[in-house]
Amino acid sequence: MKKIEATFIVNGNPYEIYVDSHALLIEVLRDELGCKLNGVHESCGSGDCGACTVLVDGEPILSCMTLAVSVRGKAITTIEGLAKGTELHPLQEAFVSNGAIQCGYCTPGMILSAKGLLDQNPNPSELEVKKALAGNLCRCTGYKKIIDAVLRVSKGGN
Amino acid sequence: MLYRKLYSFDYEEARDVPEAISLLQTHGTEAAVMAGGIGLIEEMKRRAVTPKVVVSLQPIDQLKFLDVSDGNLRIGALSKLSHGEQSNVVKEGFPALWEAIAQISSAQVRNMGTIVGNITACNPGSDVATALVALDASVKIADGNGGKCIPIKSFGVHSRKNILKPGEIVTEIIVPCLAPGAQTAFLNLARTKEDCAKVVVAVNARVTEGVIEDIKIALGAVAPTIVRATTVETMLLGEKPSEGLIQAASERASQENMVTPISDIRSTSQYRSQMVSVLTRRALTRVFQNHMN
Repeated sequence: MKKIEATFIVNGNPYEIYVDSHALLIEVLRDELGCKLNGVHESCGSGDCGACTVLVDGEPILSCMTLAVSVRGKAITTIEGLAKGTELHPLQEAFVSNGAIQCGYCTPGMILSAKGLLDQNPNPSELEVKKALAGNLCRCTGYKKIIDAVLRVSKGGN
Repeated sequence: MLYRKLYSFDYEEARDVPEAISLLQTHGTEAAVMAGGIGLIEEMKRRAVTPKVVVSLQPIDQLKFLDVSDGNLRIGALSKLSHGEQSNVVKEGFPALWEAIAQISSAQVRNMGTIVGNITACNPGSDVATALVALDASVKIADGNGGKCIPIKSFGVHSRKNILKPGEIVTEIIVPCLAPGAQTAFLNLARTKEDCAKVVVAVNARVTEGVIEDIKIALGAVAPTIVRATTVETMLLGEKPSEGLIQAASERASQENMVTPISDIRSTSQYRSQMVSVLTRRALTRVFQNHMN
């Protein structure tokens, strides 16, 4: 199979690589860019759990269900792109201070889905937060603290 | 790390519809067409389909539209479910369709999947397809030979099987604007909002001078394809809406010849049948509420 020359713009940085036509975005982000973006997690691999969520042009999508070649040239954001140096993003701060993290496996996807929502709608209702996070499964927290953390950021002015 | 990977295939991008048709005709049954991609990738991951070539429509700007013109809503093949969800034209002009789209699956899936892709998948429980059957939509197909336009209720031939032949693609869905005074309702029943529906009901009705002049009742997840409750429609046409009529019609709905629900992990056949009546009663009550004393 032929390799395709592609530029991926991830967290503001361009990466020019050759990618297999059948490579999934999650594989490229974790293994092919040379910077090991291991915050992108695979769990179900079938589009049900949301652990692999990243932002493409600001919208949450599932990186394990996306052909990498189909998003070349688009702005991709992973969890590694949120903090500025040692300063956490307000959503990351809120998840930590609110106890919205337990094992942490779902957290990158949760935070990116929440960022996708807040960037579009800075003051969502609780129902809107629930709807935006409906595609992200958490087996630890029971969701309440996660929803509270997102609402706290929205009210605190992100 | 071990991923649920895809096997290898070639990837081609079409720049316009003729090129897409040409690529698909060249590769015949070895090719698969990709719009949003999420349905295709899910099928490729479980090896339900194993194309040697994936032809992407994504660069075709002419398929990126969602607007009303000449009395019809036109939904281009690359309109995402999220575009429908965010569209005021859909929300205000086609409320049953909007309700069907806005509650599907997750935000991520709505950002990835297209409205046309939802239809071509021919899932018998498709919320969107059920709404579109009630709205009497048509499907426009490009085949490299002038194309054709067919009613959406004839598009699905069986569960997960549509009428498209190799080398054909759906380019748009055409939905007639609602007639003045028409009322619609969309209802579904699922374990969670993100899960596939057990039963779906969509109704499009118009009452003129106290009499039911037009009615379309579409039922999803109760047969291999989306079906119309035609005997119930015939029973209602020309009648005055009343609670008694709605009760009798909804009881008849589960007795329709076309209603042949299966038992699976989501429901039993018997429960689905009973819920056809319940949801039909609720939907009819909603569309007739302003016309009953």
